[in-house]
Amino acid sequence: MKAFTKINIGIAAALLASAPVLAAAETTIGVVVKQGGSPWFNAMEMGIDQEAEALGVNAFMVGPTSNDPALQVRAIEDLIARGVDVIGVVPNDAQVLEPVLERARAAGIKVITHESPDTVNNDYNFELVSTEDLGIAHGELFANATECKGSYAVYVGGLTVPAQNAWADAAVDYLTEHCPDMKQVSERFGVAESVDDSRNTTLDLIRAHPDLSGILAFGSQGPIGAARAVQERGLSGDVAVVGLFSAGQGRRLVHEGAITGGFVWSPLEAGKVFVQLGQMLVEGKEITDGEDLPLLGQIKLEGNNIYANKPLALTEESVDGLAELGL
Amino acid sequence: MRNLSAKWSGDRIELAAMFAFLAAVILFFSIAAPNFLSLGIFRSMAFQLPELGLLTLAMFIPIIAGGLNLAVTFSANICGLAAAFVVQSALMNHGIVAIPAALLISIFTGLVIGMLIGAMVAYVGAHPILVTLGAMILLRGIGETVTRGGDISGMPDVFEVIGHGSLFGIPVPMIIFLAAVGLCFYIMQFTKLGFSIHMVGSNPKAALFSGINVNRVLVWVYGLSGALSGLAGFLMLTRFNSVRVGHGESYLLITILACFLAGANPFGGFGRVLPLAVGLISLQVIASGMNLMGASQHLATVAWGAFLIVVMAVRAPFQTKS
Repeated sequence: MKAFTKINIGIAAALLASAPVLAAAETTIGVVVKQGGSPWFNAMEMGIDQEAEALGVNAFMVGPTSNDPALQVRAIEDLIARGVDVIGVVPNDAQVLEPVLERARAAGIKVITHESPDTVNNDYNFELVSTEDLGIAHGELFANATECKGSYAVYVGGLTVPAQNAWADAAVDYLTEHCPDMKQVSERFGVAESVDDSRNTTLDLIRAHPDLSGILAFGSQGPIGAARAVQERGLSGDVAVVGLFSAGQGRRLVHEGAITGGFVWSPLEAGKVFVQLGQMLVEGKEITDGEDLPLLGQIKLEGNNIYANKPLALTEESVDGLAELGL
Repeated sequence: MRNLSAKWSGDRIELAAMFAFLAAVILFFSIAAPNFLSLGIFRSMAFQLPELGLLTLAMFIPIIAGGLNLAVTFSANICGLAAAFVVQSALMNHGIVAIPAALLISIFTGLVIGMLIGAMVAYVGAHPILVTLGAMILLRGIGETVTRGGDISGMPDVFEVIGHGSLFGIPVPMIIFLAAVGLCFYIMQFTKLGFSIHMVGSNPKAALFSGINVNRVLVWVYGLSGALSGLAGFLMLTRFNSVRVGHGESYLLITILACFLAGANPFGGFGRVLPLAVGLISLQVIASGMNLMGASQHLATVAWGAFLIVVMAVRAPFQTKS
């Protein structure tokens, strides 16, 4: 039975491999994202289109109608059938995609993933900024804003959210090393996915700790809520608020000085990188550790994972442009 | 006797109409989409269709009986979870044995869940929408509690032979689906139970007075539906090598769409299995064809909706006549 399968996959692979040769020499790249229609992935699509035009390849985005991983499997199956050269994916559920990505690779298609370091069946996974670098970037900004004085608090969306806590770990490590005089007022608070909870917690902390010099918030609503509390108390600028947030939601608070700043990564850049990496793989280029790539800059290669250090700063200058993109 | 022959020919017309729609859709995409008529595309569709197809069959039987089973997708998840749990805790190193074991556990779990739902519908007398909506939320809650929203993944390698393998060039999931279609066709068309299901759906009071044990039939209706969901859960497990509550969630409304597309009467009693299978293939052709053209996935949803409305409109005059 297994032998049958192998033979059949082989035949299918041969058929598929011959298809693009007959069609055209132009590279075809299909990128399957988590869900179509959201500002984040609209920006990614823009990046894909821009880079496709720049490199003269045929690249397009497939955005499923819901975040059900089953729909991503279907989209990838159709891309295999279509005989594209490269499949890019931002997985909803890395495990679910492994078997179908294995089939894609068996058919000779290059596979690139994004935000999925644990995927096995890919050629490369790329991250625009590693967990550690993003944490450190926040730590640095926070240290500059507070001048390493006073005490601080850390918010995360939930104590079990892996990415947010890893960012917080890296940021706190940075502060412990570079600002030995600073103290965390208590354990981290799991409030950063709620504006209200972040605001209330911040009001309480300001009351309880007169030496509070800043809030580090890793969760989409944390900086917003914290900044509102700081603003209500008339402490804008005195209590630093650093963290990642959506530009559209936070731009007013940034302009008013209540949010100090933060870092994210750019979906637009990620879209471009999909196309550029895809074209490189099709041309048969190898990627090596420490290489300087046009979009990613100098990269670190760990296994199949490409780590760039391209955090995108949320500052008074950048928020308006990002908000225009709907981010 | 004359009535019977008239009904049969009505079925034939329905089936022929569905084939005509399918042919029209295939023709359209052969012209519009590049490379549509290739082996790769048809293999891709044959891999994608079965999970949605099985869930649609699971939805179809309750609809014939005048009900609805909103719990099909989450039943499938729970069945997959049960099978994955047993395989991981006891059968990881037993090779091929894990497959029939997982299959039986999935189907049995589905059967039990379905029969419990059926008993609620039959003996409590609540409307099937309420009962199955409750069951859907209950099952999702149970699944999320047990797994804490995570997944069980990493099945033995043999599972891939089912989910991604082929036998004589036909994808194994497709073979499973065709077998399920054959079984449903046989049950619905040629057995006493199938006949009773149609009668109960058409008029439960009349069925009761003509000596059909309506309650027992209803328990079997949802039992069958649950077992088919379980089969779908098993198939998803083999295809994704992983199971989590919420996989396939987006299929729920599409299964109902497919049933009505195939001429199932929303008020119960009427509808046949074969037009359903053909209708499902049409939907898959539309989805894959749109993908091939590089159209937005949202546009594919638009096309599905438009297709349903067109089919309904064309069918309407024939239905009022009978």
